[in-house]
Amino acid sequence: MASLTIGRYVPYNSFIHKMDPRAKLFALIVLMVAIFLPYPTYVMSFTIQGVIFLFGVFLLWRSHVSFFRVLKSLAALWIMVIFILIIYVLVPRTTNYPAFDINGFVIYWDSILEAARILLRLVLMIVLSMVLTSSTKPLDLTAALEWYLYPLKLIGFPSHIVAMIISLALRFIPTILDDVERIMKAQSSRGVDFENGHLGTKIKAIVSLIIPLFVSSFIRSDELANAMECRGYDPNAKRTRYRKLHFRAVDFVETFVVLAIFAGCLTLSIMQLDAYNAIWGITTL
Amino acid sequence: MSVKFSKVFFTYSPKSPFEYEALRDINLDLESGKFIALVGKTGSGKSTLVQHINSLIHPTSGTIDIDGFINSSVKKERTKDIKGLRKHVGLVFQFPEYQLFEETVERDVAFGPKNVGMKEAEAIEKAHWALEKVGLGKSFFERSPFELSGGEKRKVAIAGILAMEPKILVVDEPTAGLDPAAAKDTMSLFKKINEEGTTVILVTHDMDLVASYCDEVVVMENGKVEAQCSPSKLFGRDLSEYSLQNPHIFDFALRLKKRGIDLDMSSIRTTEDLAKAIAKRCKHG
Repeated sequence: MASLTIGRYVPYNSFIHKMDPRAKLFALIVLMVAIFLPYPTYVMSFTIQGVIFLFGVFLLWRSHVSFFRVLKSLAALWIMVIFILIIYVLVPRTTNYPAFDINGFVIYWDSILEAARILLRLVLMIVLSMVLTSSTKPLDLTAALEWYLYPLKLIGFPSHIVAMIISLALRFIPTILDDVERIMKAQSSRGVDFENGHLGTKIKAIVSLIIPLFVSSFIRSDELANAMECRGYDPNAKRTRYRKLHFRAVDFVETFVVLAIFAGCLTLSIMQLDAYNAIWGITTL
Repeated sequence: MSVKFSKVFFTYSPKSPFEYEALRDINLDLESGKFIALVGKTGSGKSTLVQHINSLIHPTSGTIDIDGFINSSVKKERTKDIKGLRKHVGLVFQFPEYQLFEETVERDVAFGPKNVGMKEAEAIEKAHWALEKVGLGKSFFERSPFELSGGEKRKVAIAGILAMEPKILVVDEPTAGLDPAAAKDTMSLFKKINEEGTTVILVTHDMDLVASYCDEVVVMENGKVEAQCSPSKLFGRDLSEYSLQNPHIFDFALRLKKRGIDLDMSSIRTTEDLAKAIAKRCKHG
């Protein structure tokens, strides 16, 4: 069950929790772009990823997310790791530095480093989004999203409806997780083993979970739609908010720090600047 | 043969902001063959307690001995034969109709028996037997469980547990949301099963059910066992401290007593019994 609750909002009183969700969402997007920018060499990529990783670890620590939870979610990625490694061993490489020679089948450093780069990107994405989701209430997050989508209203995009859909979806995640737990327990007491068993029994076990889950979700959404209509919900009406978002000094500071990091990364990327070569004259991979 | 709780504590989400101690030092001996009620207000730990009997959750400390199957806080001590335990203890959750998933009623009921190791033909046979027992005849066997009414669905779900022929049957609020006639049918079914030698543990708020059907009652309050005695003994007391209400017939008898008509309540379980006792009293003047 614990694996399903990764990234769930945990109430603490840190400065990250108190920050404006718009600032946090902006920071997440900007840092993710910085992670995915192309850098001239592998060593440069790893350096920049390392810096952002340290920043991410600092944020994790400040927002009381235990590193154990991050590791747990990474453990679930092992199939992906193997898949990426296989793909990169097979694709053509650009440089010619052999790492291993297995009976004439050569594996190049390129393949390994490229796989490592992709993996690090994934790890960083998980770390950063975990900081956001475990320190921000889903409703605040939707409010931020709606704020960002607001300009699209000018071209007729129904941003408030989209925001409502997102906030409903987020609202039901814990409910559905509770359903999952309840149904799993009910089926377990009918002798279903969700952990062990060969593929056939496992598929059967999952089916016995998924179908009741679908049924109860449909019933729930139907009831919700009726309840909303009964209370006079009109998707096109102008909506007011109970909780207003406030941009404070700490949010400006955070946005500035994130933008500074981003500007640095962007410069290095656009100029294809190899800092190691430029400063110390070392040529790296 | 009994279900024995010794020094059982249980905490939900330990070491997190959601930490909640649901059971505190439970010491309980539930004898075989009895019809036992587990009562207490919402959040008193009833449902948590019964899930331990099926080893769906493990205690934070302490052990439970279920007719020789052990559920303990220590992993090594727990029974290896988990399927054996699930067959031995049938747990009917609240609103069990949400666990249905198969295409036909008979296949859904046969799902449990198949999981605990019965052959297909034997499981189907057991399913038919269980369906007849809950009062769903041949015409239901081939129907889809999703096209049945709420009460019928619940009967199918209960049959799904009965088909495993448990020696201990735990039912969590089986009459919630049923109409009075269906509720009465369900309860008489459990009574019949109990008379055939199965231990029945009923989790409920409904004191009328306790008065009419149970041999023994366990009162829970705040994660602790407050009392374990016969229903008539319990109903002689003031129950408001446990936020429970006396059954209607005991309430009525109490009012009669205030007006000088003292009846012996120890053998009275149902409205009919009470009516007879009053009639007898009137005859003898």
